[in-house]
Amino acid sequence: MAASVASGFRSARRLVYLYFRCLGQQMKAILAYEADFVVLLFSAALVQITGVFFIWTIFQRIPSINGWTFWQVVMMYALIFVTEGVGSLFFEGTWQLSNLVYTGKFDQMLVRPVSPIVQVLACAVGFNGLGNLVTGFVLIGISMANVPVPWTLGRLLMLAILIVSAATIRVAINLGSAATAFWISAPWSMIPMFVHQLGEFAKYPITIYSLPVQAMIVIAIPFAFVSFFPTAWVFGVDAWSLPGLLTPLVAIYTMLMAVTIFRVGLRRYESSGH
Amino acid sequence: MTGLGKYLAMARTSIEIWFVYRTTFVLNMIGSVFYVFAMFYLWQTIFLGSPGALAGFTWPEMKAYLLVSFVLGSLMPWFAEWNMSMDLKEGRIAIDLARPIDFQASRFASAVGPVPLEFCSAVAVGAVVAFMFGGIALPADGAHAAVFLVSAALATLIRFGLVYCVSMTAFWTTGTDGITVGRMAVQNLLSGALIPLVFFPDWLRAVAAVLPFQGMISTPALTYLGKMDAPTTALMLGVQAFWAIGLILLGRLAWRGAQRVVTINGG
Repeated sequence: MAASVASGFRSARRLVYLYFRCLGQQMKAILAYEADFVVLLFSAALVQITGVFFIWTIFQRIPSINGWTFWQVVMMYALIFVTEGVGSLFFEGTWQLSNLVYTGKFDQMLVRPVSPIVQVLACAVGFNGLGNLVTGFVLIGISMANVPVPWTLGRLLMLAILIVSAATIRVAINLGSAATAFWISAPWSMIPMFVHQLGEFAKYPITIYSLPVQAMIVIAIPFAFVSFFPTAWVFGVDAWSLPGLLTPLVAIYTMLMAVTIFRVGLRRYESSGH
Repeated sequence: MTGLGKYLAMARTSIEIWFVYRTTFVLNMIGSVFYVFAMFYLWQTIFLGSPGALAGFTWPEMKAYLLVSFVLGSLMPWFAEWNMSMDLKEGRIAIDLARPIDFQASRFASAVGPVPLEFCSAVAVGAVVAFMFGGIALPADGAHAAVFLVSAALATLIRFGLVYCVSMTAFWTTGTDGITVGRMAVQNLLSGALIPLVFFPDWLRAVAAVLPFQGMISTPALTYLGKMDAPTTALMLGVQAFWAIGLILLGRLAWRGAQRVVTINGG
């Protein structure tokens, strides 16, 4: 028993080690174009700043959107960007999957003694994610300071759990939608991009949408658990805060779904040959 | 083939490419429609909360503004920076340099070829959105519509001129991802694509007024809505023409500089 736990731990550690080795190689490739890399960090931050500025100009004209205040909406925005940052900085590889399958390069991953999922996740780095992460966290901090909520240790701890869960949901959605590449053979599949764009709905309180849109982002593709429900819980908006507590469970569920879709897809993978 | 013929052939080829990848192009556009939907719901809620006009915009006008912005944003969705960067990384630029053509004109031909198709598909998608949200304001009369089309054509020229100029930076930096993302962020804000410029604080409106971006969305959208009187419209069309010509000339200048620093990868 103890031996199997120890070997399980060793193999998990080995996966993490290999994952970072793969990622490190990608980083070298990106740093080859140094000027572009520096500009990318600032540009990613600029995208967020213009987004928040847009929200700000609206709130200059009206006091609240459906009862939601400026800083609450900023929090939702920031969560979308932080989770996107985690996705592109550490798991950008999902975007390459359709190309890997189409060109047959995916074969390489199957002959290596490491889980193909880990290899796919680690096969690219999006450094714009770093810009997203930094600005996203700064915005979360500012909005926390501007919303009258007592910041107890418990609430801060829960906030951390919610952010990790939200990022997990985001990565799972990317992985699951990317895995459709096993069914659709195209050099650049539109489905992951399509699903990714649904995240636009999660930048604003879901109370502004009609029922079908709400159902889609709460149940079908749970983007509402990335931004809206965690924000409602953290800021104690009673009407909506309870589902916020479910976020970690939703994270586990979506990740299991994503891995299942990937595994089922993998079984029907036929190499395109060289 | 001489003169215009070779460029027409390039435009025709790019239309054929559009048809081959039509599913990707249309799906790409439908993907960006989620953004438009989110905007429609957002503004609908805002106008329900404060009936009447915000910054001089009524709800039907705002709906029209958002859709005009969507349609104009769907034209020439080419990532010239990315193409340029790939041409340089893979050494294909050597072929372009060897061809007896004007480089800028050839890029223009292939960018402008599919524009009518992009316009029609964007209008079709936009019409569905408009229908779902109870219709939009239309141009007051035929004359307004004609002026709008002129302004939209100038907007497309500005877009080409700007993106071409920015793509030239690839000759110096090779990778252009950062520059593209930055260009899009600034362009989205200062063109009025995110929100009409009249919502801005005065200082930012002043900044937007002296830059080319407003000619890409704001000016054509305002002519569509007939929000400017005749002299202002004439002036703004003149400003658009100035930037269109200016940016295209600047692009030619940049190309001359680029040829001096070009590195050909591979063989």
